[in-house]
Amino acid sequence: MMTLFAALASVVFGAMAKDTARERVMYGVKVFVEFIVFGLVLAWILYFIPWRW
Amino acid sequence: MVKTERMQVEEAEPTPGHAWLVGLAAWFIPGMGHLMLKKWVRAVLMGGAVWVCFFVGLAMGGHMYDLTNAQGTSSTLLQVPPMIANLGTGILFIICWLLGIGFGDDPVQAARVTYEYGNTFLLIAGLLNYLVMLDAFDIAAGRKS
Repeated sequence: MMTLFAALASVVFGAMAKDTARERVMYGVKVFVEFIVFGLVLAWILYFIPWRW
Repeated sequence: MVKTERMQVEEAEPTPGHAWLVGLAAWFIPGMGHLMLKKWVRAVLMGGAVWVCFFVGLAMGGHMYDLTNAQGTSSTLLQVPPMIANLGTGILFIICWLLGIGFGDDPVQAARVTYEYGNTFLLIAGLLNYLVMLDAFDIAAGRKS
Protein backbone atom coordinates (compact mmCIF):
# COMPACT_ATOMS: atom_id res chain seq x y z
CA MET A 1 0.00 0.00 0.00
CA MET A 2 2.75 2.40 0.99
CA THR A 3 4.70 1.57 -2.15
CA LEU A 4 1.65 2.09 -4.34
CA PHE A 5 0.92 5.39 -2.65
CA ALA A 6 4.55 6.50 -3.04
CA ALA A 7 4.55 5.49 -6.70
CA LEU A 8 1.35 7.37 -7.54
CA ALA A 9 2.36 10.50 -5.67
CA SER A 10 5.88 10.51 -7.11
CA VAL A 11 4.52 10.15 -10.65
CA VAL A 12 2.49 13.33 -10.19
CA PHE A 13 5.26 15.22 -8.42
CA GLY A 14 7.82 14.10 -10.98
CA ALA A 15 5.64 15.04 -13.94
CA MET A 16 4.99 18.50 -12.51
CA ALA A 17 8.51 19.45 -11.53
CA LYS A 18 11.65 20.44 -13.41
CA ASP A 19 12.22 21.15 -17.09
CA THR A 20 13.68 18.20 -18.93
CA ALA A 21 12.37 14.64 -19.06
CA ARG A 22 15.51 13.29 -17.44
CA GLU A 23 15.23 15.74 -14.55
CA ARG A 24 11.59 14.81 -14.09
CA VAL A 25 12.37 11.12 -13.94
CA MET A 26 15.20 11.69 -11.51
CA TYR A 27 13.01 13.88 -9.31
CA GLY A 28 10.19 11.33 -9.39
CA VAL A 29 12.58 8.57 -8.34
CA LYS A 30 13.98 10.79 -5.59
CA VAL A 31 10.50 11.56 -4.24
CA PHE A 32 9.57 7.87 -4.39
CA VAL A 33 12.64 6.84 -2.42
CA GLU A 34 12.04 9.61 0.10
CA PHE A 35 8.45 8.49 0.65
CA ILE A 36 9.53 4.91 1.23
CA VAL A 37 12.45 5.78 3.51
CA PHE A 38 10.52 8.30 5.59
CA GLY A 39 7.57 5.91 5.81
CA LEU A 40 9.74 3.12 7.15
CA VAL A 41 11.57 5.41 9.58
CA LEU A 42 8.30 6.87 10.85
CA ALA A 43 6.80 3.40 11.20
CA TRP A 44 9.70 2.27 13.38
CA ILE A 45 9.52 5.40 15.51
CA LEU A 46 5.78 4.92 16.04
CA TYR A 47 6.34 1.24 16.76
CA PHE A 48 8.22 2.08 19.95
CA ILE A 49 5.67 4.54 21.27
CA PRO A 50 3.41 2.85 23.84
CA TRP A 51 0.00 4.08 22.73
CA ARG A 52 -1.96 2.15 25.40
CA TRP A 53 -1.02 3.68 28.71
CA MET B 1 15.07 44.79 -18.81
CA VAL B 2 16.08 43.97 -15.26
CA LYS B 3 14.52 41.05 -13.46
CA THR B 4 12.16 43.08 -11.24
CA GLU B 5 10.81 45.02 -14.23
CA ARG B 6 10.29 41.81 -16.17
CA MET B 7 8.44 40.31 -13.22
CA GLN B 8 6.18 43.37 -13.00
CA VAL B 9 5.36 43.11 -16.72
CA GLU B 10 4.60 39.41 -16.32
CA GLU B 11 2.36 40.10 -13.34
CA ALA B 12 0.46 42.75 -15.25
CA GLU B 13 -0.50 40.31 -18.02
CA PRO B 14 -4.05 39.06 -17.49
CA THR B 15 -4.73 35.35 -17.26
CA PRO B 16 -6.37 34.17 -20.48
CA GLY B 17 -9.95 32.92 -20.17
CA HIS B 18 -8.90 29.66 -21.80
CA ALA B 19 -6.70 28.92 -18.79
CA TRP B 20 -9.67 29.08 -16.42
CA LEU B 21 -11.59 26.71 -18.68
CA VAL B 22 -8.64 24.31 -18.74
CA GLY B 23 -8.36 24.53 -14.95
CA LEU B 24 -12.04 23.81 -14.50
CA ALA B 25 -11.89 20.85 -16.90
CA ALA B 26 -8.79 19.55 -15.13
CA TRP B 27 -10.63 19.59 -11.82
CA PHE B 28 -13.84 18.14 -13.20
CA ILE B 29 -12.27 15.23 -15.08
CA PRO B 30 -8.79 14.29 -13.83
CA GLY B 31 -6.33 14.51 -16.74
CA MET B 32 -8.70 16.43 -19.01
CA GLY B 33 -6.83 19.72 -18.59
CA HIS B 34 -3.62 18.28 -19.99
CA LEU B 35 -5.55 16.51 -22.74
CA MET B 36 -6.98 19.87 -23.80
CA LEU B 37 -3.44 21.22 -23.90
CA LYS B 38 -2.32 18.18 -25.92
CA LYS B 39 0.14 17.14 -23.23
CA TRP B 40 -0.63 13.49 -23.77
CA VAL B 41 2.06 11.93 -21.63
CA ARG B 42 1.36 14.20 -18.69
CA ALA B 43 -2.36 13.59 -19.04
CA VAL B 44 -1.89 9.85 -18.90
CA LEU B 45 0.65 9.91 -16.07
CA MET B 46 -0.92 12.55 -13.85
CA GLY B 47 -4.57 11.93 -14.64
CA GLY B 48 -3.98 8.18 -14.55
CA ALA B 49 -2.39 8.43 -11.11
CA VAL B 50 -5.45 10.24 -9.78
CA TRP B 51 -7.89 7.73 -11.30
CA VAL B 52 -5.90 4.76 -10.03
CA CYS B 53 -5.58 6.31 -6.58
CA PHE B 54 -9.31 6.94 -6.43
CA PHE B 55 -10.42 3.47 -7.53
CA VAL B 56 -7.85 1.74 -5.35
CA GLY B 57 -9.21 3.76 -2.44
CA LEU B 58 -12.77 2.76 -3.24
CA ALA B 59 -11.78 -0.88 -3.69
CA MET B 60 -10.17 -0.86 -0.27
CA GLY B 61 -13.44 0.24 1.25
CA GLY B 62 -12.52 3.87 1.78
CA HIS B 63 -15.05 6.42 2.94
CA MET B 64 -15.67 9.84 1.46
CA TYR B 65 -16.88 12.83 3.40
CA ASP B 66 -19.80 15.15 2.90
CA LEU B 67 -21.87 17.28 5.22
CA THR B 68 -25.08 15.27 5.16
CA ASN B 69 -24.19 12.84 7.96
CA ALA B 70 -22.74 15.43 10.32
CA GLN B 71 -24.50 15.75 13.63
CA GLY B 72 -23.94 19.12 15.21
CA THR B 73 -21.76 22.11 14.44
CA SER B 74 -18.35 20.83 15.54
CA SER B 75 -18.83 17.56 13.68
CA THR B 76 -19.79 19.45 10.56
CA LEU B 77 -16.66 21.59 10.76
CA LEU B 78 -14.46 18.53 11.20
CA GLN B 79 -15.85 17.05 8.00
CA VAL B 80 -15.14 20.11 5.89
CA PRO B 81 -11.35 19.66 5.34
CA PRO B 82 -11.55 16.01 4.24
CA MET B 83 -14.60 16.85 2.13
CA ILE B 84 -12.58 19.53 0.33
CA ALA B 85 -9.85 16.96 -0.29
CA ASN B 86 -12.37 14.41 -1.60
CA LEU B 87 -14.03 17.05 -3.74
CA GLY B 88 -10.77 17.42 -5.64
CA THR B 89 -11.59 14.35 -7.70
CA GLY B 90 -14.35 16.29 -9.45
CA ILE B 91 -16.78 14.15 -11.36
CA LEU B 92 -15.67 10.99 -9.58
CA PHE B 93 -16.75 12.47 -6.26
CA ILE B 94 -20.01 13.79 -7.72
CA ILE B 95 -20.97 10.46 -9.31
CA CYS B 96 -20.19 8.56 -6.12
CA TRP B 97 -22.16 11.10 -4.11
CA LEU B 98 -25.16 10.82 -6.41
CA LEU B 99 -25.02 7.02 -6.37
CA GLY B 100 -24.24 6.85 -2.66
CA ILE B 101 -21.05 4.86 -3.24
CA GLY B 102 -18.43 5.30 -0.53
CA PHE B 103 -20.56 7.59 1.63
CA GLY B 104 -22.42 5.11 3.80
CA ASP B 105 -21.69 4.70 7.50
CA ASP B 106 -21.36 0.94 7.44
CA PRO B 107 -19.69 -0.64 10.51
CA VAL B 108 -18.74 -3.71 8.48
CA GLN B 109 -16.96 -1.54 5.94
CA ALA B 110 -15.28 0.44 8.70
CA ALA B 111 -14.02 -2.77 10.27
CA ARG B 112 -12.09 -3.75 7.17
CA VAL B 113 -8.32 -3.79 7.56
CA THR B 114 -7.93 -1.60 4.51
CA TYR B 115 -10.56 0.96 5.52
CA GLU B 116 -8.13 3.65 6.68
CA TYR B 117 -5.83 3.00 3.74
CA GLY B 118 -8.81 3.47 1.46
CA ASN B 119 -9.71 6.74 3.16
CA THR B 120 -6.17 7.98 2.68
CA PHE B 121 -6.06 6.99 -0.97
CA LEU B 122 -9.36 8.79 -1.61
CA LEU B 123 -8.11 11.93 0.12
CA ILE B 124 -4.81 11.82 -1.72
CA ALA B 125 -6.55 11.32 -5.07
CA GLY B 126 -8.39 14.60 -4.57
CA LEU B 127 -5.33 16.48 -3.35
CA LEU B 128 -3.21 15.19 -6.22
CA ASN B 129 -5.88 16.32 -8.66
CA TYR B 130 -5.71 19.83 -7.23
CA LEU B 131 -1.99 19.79 -8.04
CA VAL B 132 -2.70 18.44 -11.53
CA MET B 133 -5.31 21.15 -12.00
CA LEU B 134 -2.87 23.89 -10.99
CA ASP B 135 -0.24 22.46 -13.33
CA ALA B 136 -2.69 22.48 -16.25
CA PHE B 137 -3.77 26.02 -15.36
CA ASP B 138 -0.18 27.26 -15.26
CA ILE B 139 0.61 25.70 -18.62
CA ALA B 140 -2.53 27.18 -20.18
CA ALA B 141 -1.71 30.60 -18.69
CA GLY B 142 1.78 30.45 -20.19
CA ARG B 143 3.55 30.45 -16.85
CA LYS B 144 5.00 27.02 -17.41
CA SER B 145 6.05 24.95 -20.42
